[in-house]
Amino acid sequence: MKERISELMDGELPEREAAAPLAALRGDGEASEAWRLYHLIGDAVRGSRALPGDFTTRVAERLAREPTVLAPGRAPGMAQRALRVAMYAAAGIAGIALVVNLAVEPPQAPAPVAQAPQKPVAPKVAAQAPLPLPLAADDYLRAHQLYSPRGDLQGVAPYVRMVSEENVAGGR
Amino acid sequence: MSRALAGALLIGVAGAAYAQTTPEALGWLRRIYEATQKLSYSGTFVFQQGERAETSRITRLALREGSTEKLEVLDGVPREILRTRDEVRCYYPQSRTVKVDRGGELRAFPALLPEQIARLAENYTITMGETARVAGYDCRAISLAPKDGLRYGYKLWADAKTGMLLKARTIGENGSVVEQFTFTQLAIGNVARERLRPAKVEGGWRVEAASVTPADLARSGWSMAADLPGFRKVVEVRRQLGEARPVRQVVFSDGLAAVSVFIEPLEGRREPTRTGLATMGAINVYTREVANHLVTVVGETPAASVQRIGNTVEYRRPGN
Repeated sequence: MKERISELMDGELPEREAAAPLAALRGDGEASEAWRLYHLIGDAVRGSRALPGDFTTRVAERLAREPTVLAPGRAPGMAQRALRVAMYAAAGIAGIALVVNLAVEPPQAPAPVAQAPQKPVAPKVAAQAPLPLPLAADDYLRAHQLYSPRGDLQGVAPYVRMVSEENVAGGR
Repeated sequence: MSRALAGALLIGVAGAAYAQTTPEALGWLRRIYEATQKLSYSGTFVFQQGERAETSRITRLALREGSTEKLEVLDGVPREILRTRDEVRCYYPQSRTVKVDRGGELRAFPALLPEQIARLAENYTITMGETARVAGYDCRAISLAPKDGLRYGYKLWADAKTGMLLKARTIGENGSVVEQFTFTQLAIGNVARERLRPAKVEGGWRVEAASVTPADLARSGWSMAADLPGFRKVVEVRRQLGEARPVRQVVFSDGLAAVSVFIEPLEGRREPTRTGLATMGAINVYTREVANHLVTVVGETPAASVQRIGNTVEYRRPGN
C-alpha cells in the first residue's frame, strides 16, 4: 500500500486505482503516516526548511475555523478530511518554502530534516568541537572491521579498538 | 584546513620527488600479508592510542580449511573475539552476550592479490626503512607515506625471517603517532587447538547474531560519491546492528584504509542523536541526518575523509 501512496503522491497512479489508497489514507493510521513521511523525505531531499511538529494540527484547526469552501462546516468525519486537506496545504507551503530556499541557499546543501533543533552541516573539520563517540560505536566498529583490509595485515588484532563493554551496555 | 591540506600536498609532492615506491618494499608488504594468512602463533601485544594503552593476547591457528584466531583483551573489562573464515564472534563475559557478525566474505578485491598490493602504490609511497629489534625478532621496517591528506601514513615492522608483522604504527599529520600495535612477546609455530576455545560462562551466552545480505543502495534511492581519490567501493550490504537495528552499509577502501557509511532510519530510535564529528585514535566517526535517516560514517582515516564522504550522501525517492 505504501508504494501506492507514493505513486499517488507523485500523480503517477491512474485514477481508477486511486480509490484504495485514498480510502486507506482516510482510515488507516499507517497509511497517513507513510504519506506524512514521504512528504517529509521529499522536503528533506529538496532542502526545504523543517516545519514545526504540530504544523498540520495547527493548519487543520485554522482551516476548520475558516468559512472556506474546503471546510464549510463541522459535519461528522470532517476533522479527518480537514487533516488531509491540511496535508495538501502543507505540501504546497513546503513547495513555497522550497522556492524561497532556492533563492537563498545553494541547492547542493540540503538542510537536515529534524523536528529537533537544527544545526547546519559543518563544511569544515575545525568548525565544530569533537563529539563523544556514539553509544553504538562498538556496533559500527564491528561491522566496519569485517571489511577493513587492515585485517589482512594484522588478523583479528584491530578488534582491540572496540571501546569497552560499558559502551555496549550503555547502548541499551 | 585548506592550509593543512596544502601542507600535506606539499609534503606529498616533496616526498615524491625524493622517494619512490620500491619493488623490494612492495615485496615485503606481500610477505606480511602472506605471513598473516599462513602462520600459527601466540603472543602478547600492546595497543596504544593517545592516553590509552591495553595489553591483549592473540592466538592464531592456521589450517588448510581456514584459520581461527582469538583475541583476549587482558586489561580492563574482559572481552574476547574469535574470528574464523566465516564469522567473527565477540564475547562479553560480564553481560554474557556474544555478538556474531558474518558477511566478511562479501568484500570485493581481496588484498592478497598482487595487483591489489601494487595498487597501494597509487596512494602511498612505499619504501624500506631501517632494521630494528621488536620482541626479540630482527625486523625490517616498511614505510607507507600517504600521497595526500585523505589517509594516514603507516610504518610496519616485519620479522626478517617469516614476514610476521610485529609492530604497526599509524602516523598522522606532522608525523604524530595516532595509534600503535606492538608485540611484546611472540611464539611462532604450532598452537594447540583447545587454546582457541572461548571463555566459559555459567548459564550460557545470549547470542545476538546479525544477518547480512548484499544490497543495492542506489535502487532504494541512496547515493553517495566516494569522491575520495583512490577509494573504491568494496561492499554494499544490509545488516543488523546491535539489537536488530536494520542498517545499510557501504564500504570504501584504498586497499589499506577503509571507510564505512551506515544509513539507518531515525524513526523509532530511543536515544537522541548528535550530529558532528567524533574521534578515537585513528578512527573518525562523522554523523549527520539525511531525509529522516541517520548517516554515520566510520573510517580509519583522517576527519577530512569521513566528512567528505558523509557530505555526499543523498536521498532521492526511487522513480523520480
